[in-house]
Amino acid sequence: MLGRGVKRKWSCLEELELLPGAAVPEEKRQNLAAGGGHDPSMSRLQQRQLVLSLCVEKLQHYQAGVELSLRRSVLLINTLRQIQEEMRSDGTGTCTPEVLLHGVDPDSYLLTDDMSVTCSGCAEGDMESLSLSPPASPEPASQDAEQQKPLPTAVSNTLSDAGSAGGYLSDLALDDIFEDIDTSMYESSDLLSAWAAGSLWPVTSSLWWDEDMKLRPAGHSSAGSLQSCLMDLNELDHIMEVLVKS
Amino acid sequence: MAAPGGDMQWCFSQVKGAIDDDVAEADIISTVEFNHTGELLATGDKGGRVVIFQQEIENKSLPQFRSEYNVYSTFQSHEPEFDYLKSLEIEEKINKIRWLPQKNAAQFLLSTNDKTIKLWKISERDKRPDGYNLKEDDGRYKDPNSITSLRVPVLIPMDLMVEASPRRVFANAHTYHINSVSVNSDHETYLSADDLRVNLWHLEITDRSFNIVDIKPANMEELTEVITAAEFHPHQCNTFVYSSSKGIIRLCDMRESALCDRHTKLFEEPEDPSNRSFFSEIISSISDVKFSHSGRYMMTRDYLSVKIWDLNMENRPVETYQVHEYLRSKLCSLYENDCIFDKFECCWNGNDSVVMTGSYNNFFRMFDRSQRRDVMLEASRENSKPMQVLKPRKVCAGGKRKKDEISVDSLDFNKKILHTAWHPQDNIIAVATTNNLYIFQDKVN
Repeated sequence: MLGRGVKRKWSCLEELELLPGAAVPEEKRQNLAAGGGHDPSMSRLQQRQLVLSLCVEKLQHYQAGVELSLRRSVLLINTLRQIQEEMRSDGTGTCTPEVLLHGVDPDSYLLTDDMSVTCSGCAEGDMESLSLSPPASPEPASQDAEQQKPLPTAVSNTLSDAGSAGGYLSDLALDDIFEDIDTSMYESSDLLSAWAAGSLWPVTSSLWWDEDMKLRPAGHSSAGSLQSCLMDLNELDHIMEVLVKS
Repeated sequence: MAAPGGDMQWCFSQVKGAIDDDVAEADIISTVEFNHTGELLATGDKGGRVVIFQQEIENKSLPQFRSEYNVYSTFQSHEPEFDYLKSLEIEEKINKIRWLPQKNAAQFLLSTNDKTIKLWKISERDKRPDGYNLKEDDGRYKDPNSITSLRVPVLIPMDLMVEASPRRVFANAHTYHINSVSVNSDHETYLSADDLRVNLWHLEITDRSFNIVDIKPANMEELTEVITAAEFHPHQCNTFVYSSSKGIIRLCDMRESALCDRHTKLFEEPEDPSNRSFFSEIISSISDVKFSHSGRYMMTRDYLSVKIWDLNMENRPVETYQVHEYLRSKLCSLYENDCIFDKFECCWNGNDSVVMTGSYNNFFRMFDRSQRRDVMLEASRENSKPMQVLKPRKVCAGGKRKKDEISVDSLDFNKKILHTAWHPQDNIIAVATTNNLYIFQDKVN
């Protein structure tokens, strides 16, 4: 447990589960999945959240030594993009992972420079605008924040499972994040998870083999580049910790 | 030609494969194809093997039993390989088999795995030469000086031996996974398609192929659509189609340009907004495309339906058949267990009046286009008594389940029928479950 912010009471947690856009706890997720796409208890937003986390999970899961199906990867990524697009249009349009994706240099997974993973909108100077926007309009923003938050956290969670995507993030359990709605807690975790989410892009680009890759530096096979870009995130840890403390 | 689908009574004929419930991975059937006369039936499996069955000559004294298919030849077509550059295994699984039209005594087929296509010659040998006087009994050559007479060997009958030999290997032309192979009506060329490219080959030439479609974007991160299937027109040797993961079929004319990146026709049905969901794109991905024998229509299979297109009408199909509509409300679960990515094939009967495709729980469906009737049948060991008539199956989507109906929640999604084939002239069908091949035929009255 983080030890940051106040731990919420059990009754409040139950209420939180029913909020649209809330992360779906594992148990309920299984029930929802079993119930199928039109489970009356599952709203569109809940389904969206489920599909989103499944998408990322499927994209992350790969068997070493076996080539990924390009068709499957493309369909998953298109679904992911569709959901991200929808979430972006629902949300206030701040630094969502979608923005990060556009900002990332396609060759970023090849770069060792940590800061290259940043998008222009997330440069040091803009961080204030990031942290300020959620509390700007309390009521709708908290709704939007709830919607925006699950995306990066789900992504970061699966990334942390895959490898060394930040020691901080890998220690987090999904439930722990949502037990705190303290906004200052939200701001920094959103930033941190947004950073982690930004690395989704180099992950996806490494998912398929580009025959031109043989012209690039050795060691960048489809599995290898995944590992190498995750290892770059280790170096981001240091930066993340500095920002969190400030 | 027997009566179309609605009047047909399908009976069990044979089942091939292990009875075990425990399926060996290598035995999983990955493709089924009749040859042009229907006399031969080929299957490919995950272990890289091809098994060919031959129809025995009809037993005239027992007309109610149509001839049976027995093993004719078995050979290892592809072996597992290792791509050292990418550190990846290349599966030996046979993705497709296509027969060449027969020109002489031998039979030829193309078989392909993810990367390499091979042309196999299957020939019979039922005679052997005998009477050489050049060797001793133990096989050593005699001293030439000791041979004083000229003896011409004679051919004597021997037990039938069927030999399969690889005649051509078409390798190194595909970076991505090959999903289709199609022989042209000129009988000289064929196409092979992978996720991003379609190549044209000459059957005699293995060191070169022409790239005729290339949808690879300059920046792979812009990739949003892949090729899922391709086929040549049955009569027009300049025409072929390819389908995509976005539910679009493009028809190309090779006379227009060398690289057919610009389609001649584009077939796409606008999406029904009431059916829109997060899974819309995935379920619109076309898993198979087949021209009708007449060449006037083509059929596409996507996750939930079969569509028949008139080549002269691009904006919508002329017929749509729902294969398992009861799954539409289960798409989320099917997405979670990956079944939504299953690729079902489809096929036409000999006179294009009936189409067939597979489903889950070892069910398969036939749609009679002329009689507007359809039926769902099951391939199972329980219904495997000789000439046992198959009973139609029904799935209940929800609410009250009638007698003999099966509830959608009881369906076994591990039992999928992805590959089916219809005899080109007769009402005989081959249906592949995971590791068994079922042969059914129309009851002859």
